[in-house]
Amino acid sequence: MSPAKHSTRFRVWLALVLVALLLLILALQQRSTPPSESFAGLGEKAEEYAQARPGVTLHFPADHGAHPDYRIEWWYLTANLEDTEGEPLGVQWTLFRQALAPPGNDDTNDAGSPWSSRQLWMAHAALSTPDSHFVAERFARGMTLPDGKGQAGVEIAPFTAWLDHWRLESRVTDPAGDLLDRLLVSAQGNDNDHDFGYRLELTAEGPLVLHGKNGFSQKAADGQGSFYYSQPFYRVEGQVEIGGETRNVSGRAWLDREWSSQLLGPSQEGWDWFSLHLANGAKLMAFRLRGGGKGGDHYVSGSWISTDGQQTALATDDLWLTPVALSSVAGRQIPTRWRLRLPAQDLDVTVTARHPERWMDTSFPYWEGNVVVEGSHQGEGYLEMTGY
Amino acid sequence: MNAASLRVAFLALFSHYRRHPGQLVMLLVGLWVASALWSGVQAINASARDSYARAEAMFSVRLDRIERRDGEPLSMHDYLALRLAGAPVSPLVESELELADGSQLDVVGIDPLTLPAGSGFRTAGGAATLTDFLLPPYLTRVAPETYAALQADDATPPVLADGRQLPPLQLAPELPPGLAVMDIAAAQALLEQEGLSHLLVAPEVTLDLPESLVRGHAANLAAPGQLTDSFHLNLTAMGLLALVVGLLIVHAALSLTLEQRLGLMRTLRALGLSARALVALLLTELLLLGLLGAGLGILSGVWLAQWLLPDVAASLDALYGKRLGSELILPWHYWLGGLAVTLGGLLTAGIGTLWRAARLNVLELGQAQAWRGQFLRQLRGMAVAGSLLWLVALGLLSWLAHQPPAQGLRLGFAMIAALLLGSALWLSPLLAMLLAGASRLLKRPLLQWAAADLQLQLPRLSVAMMALLLALSANLGVGSMVGGFRLTFLEWLDQRLVADLYLNPPTEQYAAVVDWLESRPDISALLPRARAEATLLESEDMRTQAPRQVGVYGVTPHPALTEHWPLLTSLGDETAAWQAFSQGAAMINEQLALATGLEPGQWLQLSSPTGVMERRIAAIYPDYGNPRGEVMLTASQLSERFQTSPDSIGIVLDRKMTSGDVTPLRRALVQHFGMSGDSLIDQREIQQRSTEIFERTFAITRTLNVLTLGVAGLALLSSLLAQTSQRRSQLAPLWALGVSRLPLAVIGVAQLAGVALITATVAIPLGLALTWCLVEVINVAAFGWRLPLHVFPGQIAVTLGLAVGVALLAALLPAWRLWRTSPRTLLTEFDAI
Repeated sequence: MSPAKHSTRFRVWLALVLVALLLLILALQQRSTPPSESFAGLGEKAEEYAQARPGVTLHFPADHGAHPDYRIEWWYLTANLEDTEGEPLGVQWTLFRQALAPPGNDDTNDAGSPWSSRQLWMAHAALSTPDSHFVAERFARGMTLPDGKGQAGVEIAPFTAWLDHWRLESRVTDPAGDLLDRLLVSAQGNDNDHDFGYRLELTAEGPLVLHGKNGFSQKAADGQGSFYYSQPFYRVEGQVEIGGETRNVSGRAWLDREWSSQLLGPSQEGWDWFSLHLANGAKLMAFRLRGGGKGGDHYVSGSWISTDGQQTALATDDLWLTPVALSSVAGRQIPTRWRLRLPAQDLDVTVTARHPERWMDTSFPYWEGNVVVEGSHQGEGYLEMTGY
Repeated sequence: MNAASLRVAFLALFSHYRRHPGQLVMLLVGLWVASALWSGVQAINASARDSYARAEAMFSVRLDRIERRDGEPLSMHDYLALRLAGAPVSPLVESELELADGSQLDVVGIDPLTLPAGSGFRTAGGAATLTDFLLPPYLTRVAPETYAALQADDATPPVLADGRQLPPLQLAPELPPGLAVMDIAAAQALLEQEGLSHLLVAPEVTLDLPESLVRGHAANLAAPGQLTDSFHLNLTAMGLLALVVGLLIVHAALSLTLEQRLGLMRTLRALGLSARALVALLLTELLLLGLLGAGLGILSGVWLAQWLLPDVAASLDALYGKRLGSELILPWHYWLGGLAVTLGGLLTAGIGTLWRAARLNVLELGQAQAWRGQFLRQLRGMAVAGSLLWLVALGLLSWLAHQPPAQGLRLGFAMIAALLLGSALWLSPLLAMLLAGASRLLKRPLLQWAAADLQLQLPRLSVAMMALLLALSANLGVGSMVGGFRLTFLEWLDQRLVADLYLNPPTEQYAAVVDWLESRPDISALLPRARAEATLLESEDMRTQAPRQVGVYGVTPHPALTEHWPLLTSLGDETAAWQAFSQGAAMINEQLALATGLEPGQWLQLSSPTGVMERRIAAIYPDYGNPRGEVMLTASQLSERFQTSPDSIGIVLDRKMTSGDVTPLRRALVQHFGMSGDSLIDQREIQQRSTEIFERTFAITRTLNVLTLGVAGLALLSSLLAQTSQRRSQLAPLWALGVSRLPLAVIGVAQLAGVALITATVAIPLGLALTWCLVEVINVAAFGWRLPLHVFPGQIAVTLGLAVGVALLAALLPAWRLWRTSPRTLLTEFDAI
């Protein structure tokens, strides 16, 4: 009995890894080198997708919704929390959208079946305690029933982003306020026979922040980029559940919204991404795209967000991101301690992972975890590292 | 001892075959046939297993499935509601499509994104083609066999019977043949289905399902693995029997050729050849013969398998719904295995002779009488070993009697093997005793001589007779089992199919059809039937404690049905049982009774959409061919408790008005309701179809049976032919004493016919015992139902005749040779002495 169970589990695991390879490329195209010919012709049709360009004005609430004509898109929420005992916790809730075919293929798609869709959805949920890290993921296609219901999607009125029972929904009642000002996020998952879940209420205490130039965030020296805005000012109250035990939590959260058709240049292999809540109320978003800068350097960019939500775009020369310590995680060397310098703000801090073991062993494996900021400024935040 | 002299010695030994080419031929034929039968059967098994491995690897086998209680397709909303509540279920659509060439293709539509991880992603197309799989024009994933059958050329995709095209084909070696897997969007469009056939969920996931849905656990879904294992074990047992019989021939032929070369060996030894070198030479000879025979055998075995495989595939498909490629796929170890088994058998058969060659006394002269003394000792050994084997068989039998029936398959075969071998070992002692008695009883000198002479022949004949005994009793046993099954099955089919016409009206037409039928004067009874699924809940009476999934079958207890429907055991007499049934009691099929130990009079608990129902069991009914446990209720009760409407109506015609001709009614139904041929099934059609399935199922068994008997006949012929020349020296003195050649030839034939007759007489009770074992132990374990024991006197007579016929045939050639032997040759026999 037991060896059979083992081998089944091994097969499940093996298949997961296989699926991983696929969705890794599919769902987050930017990580890959140019799509190969064999890869479903996605590469050839790339220009048929809408392209993110500077000079486009973002409109809300419309742009909170999905942009099916762009290849990829996400609703990415991270929260730094504390339970009543003062134990630091981290929560992640992410919904990814990936188009399988460029727009214009919708007609051939219908065939009368509610299943047919060129959109693929993937969601990740994670919960970190000081000593453990629970991760779950789900997939769905963009199916729609005649009554408009579907397994996954994003609706604007009322704002709901969901995949199965994992939901991010607006609780805004004031018609004048932004739809994202008050949100309820929930997910339940199971990681290696450990049940976990969370249900958090988010209240924004500041405005939406558009990154780059009015929301166009350049990602490589040759001009490619994405539309990118955030709501970094959430106050959080709610509950997390670990193995049937419920804890009341509170803290801060950050929502990223981004969509594009070609996020990465051909030579970019991954990124290191910071979203930091500083103790003085300011926020810092910073990323480093490895390769793809001028002459093959790293491409560094970011936003300094003042306490009232004023954004200052940061470029390669303003911002210094340096890995200072590596940890061995999931068989790789991953920088879990960084030095961040932003001379314009007299900022020189060390950013350290709360725990190096924050590997997301999902179909698309990456590192994502809560971090502590020390040095010239104090704070906390989230760090995402891919491509290692 | 140098190489040259070894070579000379080897040539001298081998030259024996130049003088007796018949022996060489017989030896090779024996090896060839034995290994051909064995490897044929193994080839079928190996190939079938490959197909299963693929079927098992498919998602539906290892996953639980969720269906609606009323058997209707699930709606997309059912699915979505579960998903949005967090249940990790995955939708599946399945149906059959007719291709332009009239063949059927099973189509399964899946959603690779929600399939439980590790279950079917490979089936969905692997990493490189997910996008192609999910988007128009989609992909049709099929096994290589199906690919070849579907795709005439690479340019045009296969066309359906109605002219539409399948999505482009893609090879998927891991799929079982006859199955096409595609995206659920493509499948729904192609099959014109809006609903979902069922949902899949990983077995370890716990779910709260709405009352309208029911979850079937993967482990309970008819366990096809176990059933097919039974089938293959049956085949393997047949193959093993063929191998044993074949090796007995080899043994007979081998001992003879070595026996006849004893003189030569002594000469060689006297000339200085060491005992070790002699054994090495003989071993080389055995190996060469073995390689040649086994090689030939394996090749013809593959050919045999190719010839039989379509039948095997058809019967497995009919029996268990297993798809099997009709193309032979053989793993490398199959070839080695076949060779090893044949060579091993050859060496075991030759080891006694090698032993004697090694200990050869150079000075001893070949003496038949001395050899006989040794044979007597051997007889005692055989009797002891035979008795021991019988004890083993008895022990196994009494042990099996206390086991749940489904677990005794392997041990059941072991018991049969012990019984057969034990009896075969006892044959020679028995023959010897009979002959000793006969020579005392017979007064006429010539007859006395015949009996005594037969005793002398016995050592050589006995092995061939053992082969004959095994083949005859197997033939008889399997023949009676198949015959009995056929009889029971056809009778049962007759009893179960009481209606003249079966109708499956569409749900929306159901009421109208019933009204219309009721108004017709030529119909004497309408018998609605309904089906549902339920969980048989735990009860203290049950042998196994886990709740199990059962089929629920609703019938109408009209006298037209109850008067014919067979019952195995019932509470009170049959009328009382049916009365109880009409008033709400349940009946269960034999499979369920055997698996759970439930009996009439006990209570069972069933889950239903309207809550748990408890019913008393009124009777157990036979249900041949059904792999699952089933509970029978009245159709009205089932409709009410399971909230489902009848799925078919049996129509019994009024004999006086219609004389049983269904054509007018059929035509009227088609005219009035536009019913298609599919929804109207004639009783005769069902019977014909069932009989066809049945015949196919046992085609292989019968083929192997006949082949085994043929092998035994060959064994007899070969051993007789091989010893003709020796017989001459035994007969020559009689001839010299004045007995003419005709009576001598007649005596020879009569001797053999007598021995064959005795063997056949022993084979009859042994065959009957075998039938009993097959029916009471093997069948119950393999299929879950018990057959009544049928004895066919005609078949027994044929078997007796066959045995004597084979013996006569084998004896005639030597007799004819003797008859043609010139007196001069007979005279020269004295020179040799």
